Amino acid sequence: MRRPRLDPIGLAVLNHRLAAIAEEMGVRLGHTGFSPNIKERHDYSCALFDAGGRLAAQAAHIPVHLGSTPLSVRAALAAHRLAPGDVVAVNDPFAGGTHLPDLTLVAPVHGRSGRLLGYVANRAHHADVGGMTPGSMPLAREIHQEGFRLPPVRLVRRGAMDDDVLALFLANTRVPDERRGDLDAQRAALAVGAERLVDLAEDLGAPALARGMDELQRYSERLMAATLRTLPGGVYRAVDLLDGDGIGEGPIPIRVAITLGGGRARVDFAGSAPQVEGSLNANYAITLSAAVYVFLTLAREAIPANDGITRRLDVRAPEGSVVNAMFPAAVAGGNVETSQRIVDVMLRALASAAPDRVPAASCGSMNNLAIGGFDHGRGRAFSYYETVAGGAGAGPAGAGASGIHTHMTNTLNTPIEALEAYYPFRVTAYRLRRGSGGAGRHRGGDGLVREIMLLESAEATLLTERRRLSPWGLAGGGDGARGRNLLVRRGRRRALPGKANLRLEAGDGIRLETPGGGGFGGRGRRGGRPRK
Amino acid sequence: MPRRRRRRLVQVGIDTGGTFTDFVVRDDGRIRVHKVLSTPDDPARAVLAGLAELLPGAWSGEVTYGSTVATNALLERRGARVCLVTTAGFEDVLEIGRQARPRVYALEPRLPAPLVRRADRLGVRERTSHDARIVTRLGSVELRRLVRRVRARRPAAVAVVLLHSYARPEHEQRIGAALAALGVPVTLSHALVREHREYERTSTCVVNAYVAPAMRRHLERLARGLGRRPLRVMQSSGGAVAPALAAREPVRTILSGPAGGVVGAAALAERLGLDAALTIDMGGTSTDVALVAGGIPRRTECVIDGMPLRVPVIDIHTVGAGGGSIARRDAGGSLQVGPESAGADPGPACYGRGTLATVTDANLVLGRLVADRFLGGAMPLDLRRAQAAISRLARQLRLSAPCAAEGVVQVVNAAMIRALRVISLERGHDPRLFTLMAFGGAAALHACELAVELGIGRVLVPAHPGVLSAAGMAAAPRSRAFSTTVRLVDPSLAALARLAAPWQRRGAAELRREGVPRAAIANRTTALMRYVGQAHEVEVPLGADLRGRFDAAHAQAYGHGDSRRSVEVLALCVEVTGAVRRREGAARRRSDRRAPVGARHRLVWRGRVLEAARHEREVLGPTARIGGPALVTEYSSTTFVPPGWRGRVDGEGHLHLERR
Repeated sequence: MRRPRLDPIGLAVLNHRLAAIAEEMGVRLGHTGFSPNIKERHDYSCALFDAGGRLAAQAAHIPVHLGSTPLSVRAALAAHRLAPGDVVAVNDPFAGGTHLPDLTLVAPVHGRSGRLLGYVANRAHHADVGGMTPGSMPLAREIHQEGFRLPPVRLVRRGAMDDDVLALFLANTRVPDERRGDLDAQRAALAVGAERLVDLAEDLGAPALARGMDELQRYSERLMAATLRTLPGGVYRAVDLLDGDGIGEGPIPIRVAITLGGGRARVDFAGSAPQVEGSLNANYAITLSAAVYVFLTLAREAIPANDGITRRLDVRAPEGSVVNAMFPAAVAGGNVETSQRIVDVMLRALASAAPDRVPAASCGSMNNLAIGGFDHGRGRAFSYYETVAGGAGAGPAGAGASGIHTHMTNTLNTPIEALEAYYPFRVTAYRLRRGSGGAGRHRGGDGLVREIMLLESAEATLLTERRRLSPWGLAGGGDGARGRNLLVRRGRRRALPGKANLRLEAGDGIRLETPGGGGFGGRGRRGGRPRK
Repeated sequence: MPRRRRRRLVQVGIDTGGTFTDFVVRDDGRIRVHKVLSTPDDPARAVLAGLAELLPGAWSGEVTYGSTVATNALLERRGARVCLVTTAGFEDVLEIGRQARPRVYALEPRLPAPLVRRADRLGVRERTSHDARIVTRLGSVELRRLVRRVRARRPAAVAVVLLHSYARPEHEQRIGAALAALGVPVTLSHALVREHREYERTSTCVVNAYVAPAMRRHLERLARGLGRRPLRVMQSSGGAVAPALAAREPVRTILSGPAGGVVGAAALAERLGLDAALTIDMGGTSTDVALVAGGIPRRTECVIDGMPLRVPVIDIHTVGAGGGSIARRDAGGSLQVGPESAGADPGPACYGRGTLATVTDANLVLGRLVADRFLGGAMPLDLRRAQAAISRLARQLRLSAPCAAEGVVQVVNAAMIRALRVISLERGHDPRLFTLMAFGGAAALHACELAVELGIGRVLVPAHPGVLSAAGMAAAPRSRAFSTTVRLVDPSLAALARLAAPWQRRGAAELRREGVPRAAIANRTTALMRYVGQAHEVEVPLGADLRGRFDAAHAQAYGHGDSRRSVEVLALCVEVTGAVRRREGAARRRSDRRAPVGARHRLVWRGRVLEAARHEREVLGPTARIGGPALVTEYSSTTFVPPGWRGRVDGEGHLHLERR
């Protein structure tokens, strides 16, 4: 395939090669990771960048990482002149990160002749990076309370780990051994990505590879433009609400005006709430990721994930707002909760532009649960973090799926039999929350019930949404049922707020009932009323 | 050759496909091949009819059979009504799965409907812990109530999956005993999959129960037709088992079709002294690739139609690209090939009904297929229709027709190369050290060009490439495979050996009951190992310096090992095999003619029109030499030999190609 420029065939062939490299990085990371969060739940993403730091390929793992990983690479390049063998680590939401548990590694890739070919990067959710509570998703009021903040620093210099930086990081997490294992896995994934990219450059020639990556980005841009042209021009507005940040008074409005025309989209969040005291603040990287995700779902063909997809999108978010928070805002929930609401409000706005594609609101929360403490039986500290799925919104094509992760996340659950073997927990129920999907011609998907009993005392953090305000139905469909959080103590159930920090005794249970999806279309059967 | 009337001892391999049922008979060292039309409503009919045609006289011997009965019952959702018994509170594990959606950017994600409806999923009050303690004892009243509830539903099969039963199966066993009176197949999860992860175990057991009644009926019909001649059923792991076991655990047969091809390829590679081969089996809608290096690598899990099955399968990677894959221009101006396929109906444009350009049409337009030699001339291809379809595509792409046709081939090759990289590079193997073995209808058309892209210098196209799967079945060893979760940290070898011993004894006893002599029984035990805290295991054969070999294997597969970290043995896999009495025959006698050089054929390669030699595979003898560009045609396949390649046929009829 030595062609002067890429024709339709060369494009398809190069797309295969680059996508395969990003995928292989992901396989390597999942197989060598140590924490259940990485090895069982696959909470990570891997990507390749061209020599200019533009996204060249990203494996379709976690949508919330999509628009945000490029900003980590940009921050790493702004902070350092990278030499062969260097690896930069970053998690600072105000310098290329999203929220503190997501730790991104970036490494340059040089060809055999020493020429810079591009960069490889991956981002993995670490189950603990310090902060007020185990799991590092506390109900904090500022970033400093949320955990250890790592601006872009060189973790590896010319192939040698900087033990000082590593020691500093590990000393600030609750389960350092697990962190070290996960970091090794991230490095292994970078190494395989770099090796494959070098091979590809050998096969094609470095200049041809560079041109190819460039053309592939233009190809994605064309596909995105074609997608946008399938939508009628105009301005589409909507507002949606977050329940509240757990500290101040809710609800928190997010407003959007989407202007479509000429194969471009301007997405403006002017009028959204100012940044809040609690942790529901999203930085710009998250808002951009959510916007990119929404337009990718509207595409009728798969668009290779690279820099080209953002070129047709102009995403504006007022500085200091809940969708573009400034230092020193707390941001843990912006990534996992506010990102979902940004998708909801954008889809609500676009429902009239694409009534054939847009479904009702899905669960709208990742239903985050973090539990940590000391496990006396196993003689070690533990830090558990998990997200629980909910119902998908019904759409023009049919009923919503039940018990499924929607929109900005797509992690797996932790198997009960693995969970109980690692943590001092007993899962006492894991089932669909029947009847929680919204009514309609097409029923919304049902949420889930997950109840965990603690066998040791521990500290738990709940970060959940759609506990006050339901996922909306569409085209006459009914709303999905709100979620509920319950404490089960000595056989009695007590309601918990959507966001809570609590001390649990051995024998206590914590029960999450996650929201159902909204219904679609009128004249349907009953719904939105979960059976007790 | 006059047919002798004495009883003959033969080995028969039978592979049921969607269209044809293939037969390979090894008879006194000779190999014969036969095909009959499949009878999907009752696959046994084609099998028995084909055997009667092929072996009309009295014969004895062994029949090994790759059944698609379980596969089709599953894929077409024609399985039995199943009751699923679970720990109370976990009736929905089957439906929830792992919470993830298959396609990230699908706005309306769809999941396959569970095989057991909610009303037939019955929770029972009981609980066992991960460390084998009974937390809530299964009471006898509760058990009797359960039996009543199951009976009231009149299921055709039952699956019982209780939490942590792999650690302590007591409650499953009691339920199994109580349900025996129902007289329907009962699948107990600890007996089928003794491993943790409740969803994967549930999915496996439910599929097993779902297909069990159909498989049992089918095997009974077949056994009646075969009389006293022993029947063996191929499993997805590449081993064969007696019908009774296949009827009890039909889930183990679901990928037996592709497995037969790899076993056949591995047997052939071993015989020809190739120690490392990549296999590629390209059909109409998909392509299977696998790697064979001193054994056949296996995986402990596969996914069918979105359902995970936790049973040993040959490590086969499948891509949705085949001869029927449809080529089109997308909205961004790129050429896409597949995964949509024209299938058999309407089929590629050149089959005379469809109008969309496919990979087969591109090959025909490029002159790499010969219109009047397809299926031995039984089905002439319509070149003009193919040209029209490719020209339409070319106009959309703003390319010349030959350029577009070559592009289609390049893009479908890229998909196959990606698959070949997954099974070699991702598993730590350098593909350049391998021979590429091409079989199935279409693989030999693409094999040399794939080899070039991967840096491979040798390609082998076996004799009868269309029936290699059936040949593999005839060659498959009898086997029993077990796996058991042990979860031990830094265990001694002696402790592991003690845990493996009962399974080894059980396997050997079962094989001896099937008549395998003690001396022919061998076993292979491997440990699934990982660093404490990791999720994915590396399989290491049990033996001296287990730890050192694990570190090395981890380093090979993943690029790093750490001899300081503690190691956990998660599970032991025991495979007990009984070798087939195999009599390798002398080479087939074939006419030894040099390649006829009269037939010339024009084909397109890299934008140039070349004059190529055309050879009939059936008449090529051992002294014939083939130089690219050339085409080698035969009944069910065509081999394209590009410039820069040369080839010869060995005494058994296998075509060896080498890069000059």
